[in-house]
Amino acid sequence: MSALKSLKRWFIDPQFSRKKQFLRSLDIFKDLRDGELGQLVQALHSRSYREGEVIFVEGDIGRALFVLETGAVELTHLGADGQPHVLYRLKPGDFFGEMALLESLPRTATAKATEKTHLHLLYKSKLDALLSGEPRIGVTIMSHLARLLSARLRRLNSDSKLLTAKND
Amino acid sequence: MTDKRREFPFLPVFLVGGVALFAFYQARAALTPFLLAATFAYVLNPVVSYFEAHGLRRFHLVLCGYLAALALAAVAYAGLKSVLLEETERFQTRAPAYFQQFQRAAYAKQAMLSKNLPLPPKIAANALDSALSGALNTLRELPSHILALLPLFAHALLVPFIGFFFLLDGPGGVDRIIQTCPSRLVEQAIHLLSEIDMALGNYLRGLIIVVTIIFILSFLGLIALGVDNALIIAAISALSSVVPYFGLVMGILVGSAMAFYQFGAAMAAAKVALLFLAIRGLEETLIQPLIARHSLHMHAMTNLLVLILGGEMFGFLGLVFAVPAAGIVKALVSVTWSWYSSERGLAPGAAAGAGVPYT
Repeated sequence: MSALKSLKRWFIDPQFSRKKQFLRSLDIFKDLRDGELGQLVQALHSRSYREGEVIFVEGDIGRALFVLETGAVELTHLGADGQPHVLYRLKPGDFFGEMALLESLPRTATAKATEKTHLHLLYKSKLDALLSGEPRIGVTIMSHLARLLSARLRRLNSDSKLLTAKND
Repeated sequence: MTDKRREFPFLPVFLVGGVALFAFYQARAALTPFLLAATFAYVLNPVVSYFEAHGLRRFHLVLCGYLAALALAAVAYAGLKSVLLEETERFQTRAPAYFQQFQRAAYAKQAMLSKNLPLPPKIAANALDSALSGALNTLRELPSHILALLPLFAHALLVPFIGFFFLLDGPGGVDRIIQTCPSRLVEQAIHLLSEIDMALGNYLRGLIIVVTIIFILSFLGLIALGVDNALIIAAISALSSVVPYFGLVMGILVGSAMAFYQFGAAMAAAKVALLFLAIRGLEETLIQPLIARHSLHMHAMTNLLVLILGGEMFGFLGLVFAVPAAGIVKALVSVTWSWYSSERGLAPGAAAGAGVPYT
């Protein structure tokens, strides 16, 4: 039995397992099965960013979702005064740029690494390939994105209602 | 919103690509095994990736795969050794007789044809003489043409050896490109690499499926017809299929000639020709639709042009790699246009119905 365990340890890639474990901990991928997470790990590209390095700039056409594994990322928006205003600070496990998977339109914010950061990228065409080749993976991700989009719209609706009521 | 428009350096990419192609052309002899090894690894990578997705270590997978392939090759060699030796010996002993038989048959037909041709007898005889001597010369030179391909077989050991390291690296090369790429251009770089991967991978994998099926069907068909050297003819036809239509032509030429020599009857040659035509028909109707998504969707004339250019520049290897290389150029152009149109706002924007309130 222990020989079987050591043989398994000899064959199993610990780094790959760690990546799968990390993806499983994210809301967007938590419903995927083990084998599907493995395929997803292969579909992702990884890149490290130095502190202060810009990941994308507001107005750039987006085509990828970014998953933050380590480090920190700041999302900023250029205000009317021409100064960047911080919208959100992302921590490990957060993902951003997800709307690029739905449509290739300009990014609405600038993303910058505020410390040494490691990101995973899911490119739109990889998701398209997953949707046709492995529909369950693609549909799981898309359905999560749809729920996310709906929640954000509802919040936006209620915010605008509050604002209208205040102005009245 | 920033005014600084992001531009992908397509011109430098094209220039670097052009310089790389020129350098490759200059050093093609030395780089050939590396190109073949990279292709070998690229084609086998999905098998490794399949098991890797289950969490297995790449090094162990590649090592075990090589050992299994070695064992399989040894078993296949043991099984096919007698067939191969028998076919080679039979061909060696019968080749002079085949040639003489062809000569005799050709001279007999020449006399008959020169009588029936609607030309003055002297002109008809001269025309047939030159045609026949041309055909006989081509037949005599055939072995030397085949021998000219032998240096490629010299890579038979080197290619899997270099391919081993390419396979071990796997997607590491792509990750290094992405890491080196300026951060704002990462998405374009991935787009370009994905397009190339899709075009190239699908084409090469589709081609391997076609070559394997043609080899098996030709071999079984020739065995059923009782034609000698079935293994060699099937291998020639299948490997020639790498060049569009060339496999069919080679199969009919070599197979029919062999059947004609062996049985001394035109009907036997016609049966072999029909066999290869049927295999081609099967490939067109059943196999190609299955792998249609693997094709590069290039016009037949473009295919022909790149084949001529590839053959002229790189010889046999040029014929093999001309179409996938054109696929890479096509991907590059398509990505250039896609990015240009989306960055300039030429691509369609938000989905229809965006004006309807959220309910």
